Amino acid sequence: MIKKEYIRSVLNVFASSPFKPLVIHANKGGDCVRKLNESLQAYCNGDMEKVEALNKEIDVIEHEADVIKQTIRSELSSSIMLPVHANDLLNFLKPQDSISDDSQEVAFWLTVRKFEAPDEISEGFCELMKKTLETVELYEDLVSTLSELLETSFSKRDVEDTLVLVTRVEEMEHQVDIIEKNLVKLIFQNEGVIGAPGVYHLSRLVRGIGDIADKAEHAADRLRTMVLRR
Amino acid sequence: MSFFDPLVLLLVAAGLYMAWNIGANDLANAMGTSVGSGALSIKQVIIIAALFEFGGAVLFGKRVTSTIAKGIVPIDSISLIDPHLVTIGMLAAILAAGFWITLATFYNLPVSTTHSIVGAVLGFGLMAAYNGMIGYTEINWTVLGKIVGSWLVSPLLGAFIAYIIFSLIRYFVLQKTDDPYNIEKKFVILQIMTACYIAFAHGSNDVANAVGPLYAGLHSLEMADVGIPLWVMALGGIGMVIGLATWGYRVIETIGTRITELTPTRGFSAEFATASVVVLHSYSSLPISTTHTLVGSVIGVGLAGGLAAVDLSVIGKIIVSWIVTVPVAALTSALIFAGLLGVGI
Repeated sequence: MIKKEYIRSVLNVFASSPFKPLVIHANKGGDCVRKLNESLQAYCNGDMEKVEALNKEIDVIEHEADVIKQTIRSELSSSIMLPVHANDLLNFLKPQDSISDDSQEVAFWLTVRKFEAPDEISEGFCELMKKTLETVELYEDLVSTLSELLETSFSKRDVEDTLVLVTRVEEMEHQVDIIEKNLVKLIFQNEGVIGAPGVYHLSRLVRGIGDIADKAEHAADRLRTMVLRR
Repeated sequence: MSFFDPLVLLLVAAGLYMAWNIGANDLANAMGTSVGSGALSIKQVIIIAALFEFGGAVLFGKRVTSTIAKGIVPIDSISLIDPHLVTIGMLAAILAAGFWITLATFYNLPVSTTHSIVGAVLGFGLMAAYNGMIGYTEINWTVLGKIVGSWLVSPLLGAFIAYIIFSLIRYFVLQKTDDPYNIEKKFVILQIMTACYIAFAHGSNDVANAVGPLYAGLHSLEMADVGIPLWVMALGGIGMVIGLATWGYRVIETIGTRITELTPTRGFSAEFATASVVVLHSYSSLPISTTHTLVGSVIGVGLAGGLAAVDLSVIGKIIVSWIVTVPVAALTSALIFAGLLGVGI
């Protein structure tokens, strides 16, 4: 029961909208990746203190994202009627939440070992991180179109605009894949310089960053299902 | 019988309390949706509500008032035995309904004043029949059946009309625009009109909950004619407006800040549907719950895809409150009536 307000009211019929927290949650994921981008720059420049500090900041943001996710889930009881299927919404929340989770993992992975590799590899990492960040930021734009969709109650034109963004996220994720593969090759080409632990550390780092873009693409795909299947 | 008879004064006071309660809660609920969508400020809402609520009560409230006063219980037969019996019975009814409503308000339960007063009046009738003043068959079960049926129909009708209206707005306006936010701005004016409409509708139906029993009492004591005196209707109107101004504004504020989802297009659809359903019932002399109809209409907008999240569990709560209210109000009213007779008033 809500706190005593001494009213008999129509309020009970209005449930809190999960869509606004969804957008905030997506932005938390974006914030994590932006911090991770900074952290990777610092890492390539050998500034391990900054890497440590950013790792802690990302931990905090990731936790905030988790709290938002839990709130959205707990408020979606079976009696809540949404303009989309609640299951579809939860299915898209999950990969969206992984964006911050995966960023957290990569941020931690950066703290465990110093960067020791040729410049072309650090350039490769910068490129990979930049494209991943672009993918995630485009994904944030995509999620923010939800409010307009709700406002017009899913007009055809707005649905089309949203679907175009989904395709663009998917294309960008594909570019990340290509950079990712080339970078892994490059790491192994330099295995003599980097050494076995370095190869293991860096290749897992490549995988970790690539996963973030994967999750954004995955969430975009689920969002499309949610919008189309309603 | 003088107006200053203690029994009459008590009845007037109880009627005013009921009117205050209705204004403070039910009217505030109906008007809160206009504030939520940002169409009007609270001050403007109170002024509009005061004017149109009063207008609805005085100009269009007599049919339902008549139903509450003499449509269910045959007060003329009872007053043949003793005119005071009706006054005492109606006092019992209004006290019982007022008590139940106060309790429900305390616990934030979605209880309707209409259901309470109908149940309470029925309780008085049943106790009269139990004491052999009238036969059980003299209670107008047909009218009662119609009233109860209208409680089921009115939220459904509200949902249906709101669904149609919002679907039309969606198809012809929202989906054809590049700038939905601009459309919302244009709907603000329409929503101001529906705010007036809903206040009028509410006044025309709910004033009966306060002045129906009062009129019945006065009528038996031959202080009121077959036609309902204007001052009685005005008393109900004033009571409701005072309730809104002294307490209801807080309720409006609470509702307004919580339902930001209800933008002017959505608010317009829900309010227009609600007001139309309520006016239709006022015309048919049937007392219904404005709040429950409004809930139905909001669900209708939700079904048409207009709202981000609608909690359907409220339907269950309303049905429970509906099933509980009538017997509880009836029993309380019957007991108060028996008690008042017992102490020899």
